[in-house]
Amino acid sequence: MVFTDAMKAIARKELSDKLKSRWVLVIAAGFAVFTLVISYFGGATSGVAGFRSMDATIASLTSLVTYFIPILALTLGGGIIADERDKGTLEIYLAAPVSVAELISGKFIGLAIALTLSTLVGLGVSGIVLLAEIGMNALSSYLIFMLNSVILGIIFLSISFVVSILFTERARVIAFTVFLWLFFAILYDLGLIGLLIITKGAVGEEIFSGLLMLNPVDVYRILNFLSIGELKVFLGLAAVELPAYMKMPVLWAISLLWVVLPLIMSYHFFKRRYLA
Amino acid sequence: MLELCDISKNFGDIKAVESVSLKVKEGEMLGLVGPNGSGKSTLLKIMLGISRPSSGRILLNNGELTEKGWRDFRKQIGYMPERVSFYDNLTGRETIELFARVKGGSAANAIELLKKVGLENAVDRRVGGFSKGMRQRLNLAQSLSNDPDFLVLDEPTSGLDPVGTKEFYKILSDVRKIKNLTVVLSSHILAEIEDKIDRVAVMKAGRLNALGSLEDLYSGLSLPMRLHILVKDRDAGLEELLRREGAVDINYKDGHLIASIPREDKLRILSVIMERKESVDDISLREPNLEEVFFGIH
Repeated sequence: MVFTDAMKAIARKELSDKLKSRWVLVIAAGFAVFTLVISYFGGATSGVAGFRSMDATIASLTSLVTYFIPILALTLGGGIIADERDKGTLEIYLAAPVSVAELISGKFIGLAIALTLSTLVGLGVSGIVLLAEIGMNALSSYLIFMLNSVILGIIFLSISFVVSILFTERARVIAFTVFLWLFFAILYDLGLIGLLIITKGAVGEEIFSGLLMLNPVDVYRILNFLSIGELKVFLGLAAVELPAYMKMPVLWAISLLWVVLPLIMSYHFFKRRYLA
Repeated sequence: MLELCDISKNFGDIKAVESVSLKVKEGEMLGLVGPNGSGKSTLLKIMLGISRPSSGRILLNNGELTEKGWRDFRKQIGYMPERVSFYDNLTGRETIELFARVKGGSAANAIELLKKVGLENAVDRRVGGFSKGMRQRLNLAQSLSNDPDFLVLDEPTSGLDPVGTKEFYKILSDVRKIKNLTVVLSSHILAEIEDKIDRVAVMKAGRLNALGSLEDLYSGLSLPMRLHILVKDRDAGLEELLRREGAVDINYKDGHLIASIPREDKLRILSVIMERKESVDDISLREPNLEEVFFGIH
């Protein structure tokens, strides 16, 4: 599908809203402050404050981002269609020569750019400080961490569109958003640990790695730990190893699926709900 | 010409629209009237392709509308939904520019359009500060932002005061003078549109109860005319005489005797009244308005 004028107009409106309301600036500043604080005080529990190695810093920042970005992206897109419906503007779009795919894509692209900008600026600012302190040889690891963080945000933005179409009441949108965040950021991994305990570790590598792929937060964590070569730290609890083919390109491809599949679901749910 | 052929729309067990057939002629203003819940908005959405009919066909210039056909047709459509609050953070100009771009119109005409609907002083004001009337004008402007040939207005004056309503129809009339727009207009305030429309489609409980010009409906239904007699004093004899001559719904109020009389008997009844002219100060005979037609049909 080409980037049509209608898509451009819709995307520009969404991006412009977030820029004008200073959403991008506030989130970027929040990212920068949090990442710098975590980077500096990340080793405080061992009695040392100050910037450590980039690998240790990325490991700490990964924990921060897995909590921060999913909830941010889910709340960003969770009300996007419900808001249009409440304002009455959704009917104008539906009666316009705009396809559902153009409408959803336009809104998605606009918000994705806003989220990407705030993530890149926030992590970029702290990255400059970190690289100045730690050294430029860690640049590639940090760039990959930034890229992975952007992808994580886009995945949860995509999931938020499904929420926005399935639920029309704001209260339900918020409730389901919080549930999704809890599920992916916390409960899912608790469930996996529980599974390993119950089965006494009998779950095979294939099944276990497959289950990890069903949670984009885990995919993100693995990508980051792979990039710094510390996957054992992450999987230590599980005492299992990922299959050899589970390299970064494969994980990026899985991440892409996590972006595309919710958008396809959004398209079908939208047609069923609003064009039946 | 848009033609709906035997259109039905069900929501589960509820029949929102049932076997409706009608043609919208080029350049006409068609009024779609009926009480709330009669299926007007659903029928409008079917005309716009927003809602798919459960059965029936929609033809444009005698050809059935395909997926691509709908997309092309929508380029010619301007739609004004009933309730739109728009985006509070955008200005009037930004709002029109956005919808013009989305609908394939020219964003450069935004200011001209806002002038056309009387919002020239609100071009750069945020919509958040607009009154209800201003938002309705903005809504009309957005519906015109792609220079449409076919305008669909769903309860366009809903929530407006009488002055706002009058101004709205003045703007619509001015717009139609410039361009020969086909307009479909829904309303449940019948008296408000009867002098503006070319034809009326009357809906009740999802069905099309009547369709035609007001003159056609008046003559076809042979509705009774309303007789207003200004009397000097209440005259029981006159009331009895009217009843004997076929008048019904006879009421006396504030010196007026009001009755419905058969259209074909009007001359005879008038001559009978003249025989008692000593009791009468004035007489007037009125056609039923659209509201009376509407309720007469029901």
